[in-house]
Amino acid sequence: MTGDILRILLLILQLGFVALLYVILLRFAGTLLRDLRSAEQVQLASRSGIGRLSVLESPENEPPADTTIALGPINSIGRNVNNTIYVEDDFVSTNHAMLTFRGRSWFVEDQGSTNGTYVNGHRIDRPVALSFGDELMVGRVRMRLDR
Amino acid sequence: MRITWRGAELRLLLPILAAVPLGFAITNIALTNTLDPGPLQLAIGFVALFGAAHVALVFFGHRGDQLILPAAGAMGGLGLIMLNRLPQDLAGTSAFGIQLGMAETQLLWFAVGLVIMVGVAVGLRDDGVLRHYKYSWAAIGIGLLAATLLLGYEVNGARLWIDLGPVSVQPGEPLKIVLVIFIAAYLAETRTLLTSASVRIGPVHIPPLPYFLPMLVLFGAVMLIVVRLNDLGTALLFFGTFLTMLFVATGRRSYVLIGLLLFIAGAFVAYRLFGHVQDRVDVWWDPFADPLGRGFQPVRALYALGRGGLFGEGLGQGLVTLGTGLTIPYVHTDFIFTAIAEELGLLGAFALLGFAVVFVFRGLRIAALARDDFGALLAVGLTASLGLQTLIIIGGNTKLIPLTGITLPFVSYGGSSVVASFAMIGLLLSISHRSATGSDTGQTSS
Repeated sequence: MTGDILRILLLILQLGFVALLYVILLRFAGTLLRDLRSAEQVQLASRSGIGRLSVLESPENEPPADTTIALGPINSIGRNVNNTIYVEDDFVSTNHAMLTFRGRSWFVEDQGSTNGTYVNGHRIDRPVALSFGDELMVGRVRMRLDR
Repeated sequence: MRITWRGAELRLLLPILAAVPLGFAITNIALTNTLDPGPLQLAIGFVALFGAAHVALVFFGHRGDQLILPAAGAMGGLGLIMLNRLPQDLAGTSAFGIQLGMAETQLLWFAVGLVIMVGVAVGLRDDGVLRHYKYSWAAIGIGLLAATLLLGYEVNGARLWIDLGPVSVQPGEPLKIVLVIFIAAYLAETRTLLTSASVRIGPVHIPPLPYFLPMLVLFGAVMLIVVRLNDLGTALLFFGTFLTMLFVATGRRSYVLIGLLLFIAGAFVAYRLFGHVQDRVDVWWDPFADPLGRGFQPVRALYALGRGGLFGEGLGQGLVTLGTGLTIPYVHTDFIFTAIAEELGLLGAFALLGFAVVFVFRGLRIAALARDDFGALLAVGLTASLGLQTLIIIGGNTKLIPLTGITLPFVSYGGSSVVASFAMIGLLLSISHRSATGSDTGQTSS
């Protein structure tokens, strides 16, 4: 008799255990869905572009340090105010460098500047492909290419 | 270092921390036939460990992913319930005069793994150490392999173990991590070259060999040694992980196609050359040809799956031991999935797979949100490695593919595997922490 009761109790506990597993799984699914929705909104708000430049160091504060610049497919960098990215720094040439998105990668090319363009600390002498996370330096302004 | 509440993680962990002691209690009631929840130290230990890991992440202000740890906890919990149910003398340690059973030893490894996980997640603020010393990491990997080849000893025809005093280590597990770090760093650096400079023959892109060479040489060497060690599961795992990372880095389907063709060719050659490969494939094709010899293990596993059915036999009520021996040899490592499916049925097995899917999904999401290419590729590699490992061993358990002896991450008994898997979570957490804090998008991963 007690054996029967025990068996029934075990069955109930067992079903409860498996049900609990699925409750946990449903909670996971709920969290995942909520997260995907919020991620979509964040993406719509600020990540629609093909890349951004994060300004790490900028002695003259133009562009201001610790800001990000949304990038179009073609970006000219220089001290001339008509450049897409206007940089106020004595060591930057009027038309300093060109940052372009071609196909699926970013490229940077020096436009014959006096002090050169540096990628990850190396001066470039031809168009160079950039990966996200690479550091770009024009004059004394240090920037990082981000997604 | 500011405290950051991790609400989603806590909400997911709480029911898991309730379910695991319930599982222990059911097992004990079924095994003893009395209304007794059994000894409590395992349940307390499990709850305390994962609770402590959560509190530590909150305390250190970690803002990384909140679903990965609960998903791993759920898998680890199911594994621990099953290990506690199996005969405790299958494995264990007896160091410093203390005798520990199999489940207690596994819990000890959880503790070590969680400490390393929190350490990596919190301590690794900058991935430069991983990225810039990629050839050092590769050298460490080669060293690990050489050590296995020279000092290792064989278990079941595969030489995978190194004896280090009180514990034996499987160098293949840390090697997995080191290899993923190297490939991620290499591909992040050469990604653009690999896509832009390929030679095209008709519709097929041929990869530019000079840029590929260092990676191919290293990877080829690793594969050769792994195959030489008879560790076929690991070889398959490495290859799958490598192809996944290559595809993600370059976006070229043809590279994957070439890789798959190479794999088929390699598998065919291996089948012809090595007796043990032939054995595995023959047994997989028809285990009933020799049900008491070579097919013993898979036949018994298939019957166990059949006994489990949809709802399972019930925790503690499966046919784990038969006479003096185990029903399925190596049920605590290679066939833990079968044991879970026998006692919890198809429903329980699907729940386990569901947790693995959540894990992989979140891993790929971490990769998609990563701030730089290296982080993204590293996350993809770690996720692919854990996901493929799950796929390969469960496929082997269910006779979908030939069985290769690798562990089911977080679930199987085994210190090296558990610690390595938790270290990989630590890396994933640190990547997602950086993308949550470093960017100004206001991305909160909750």
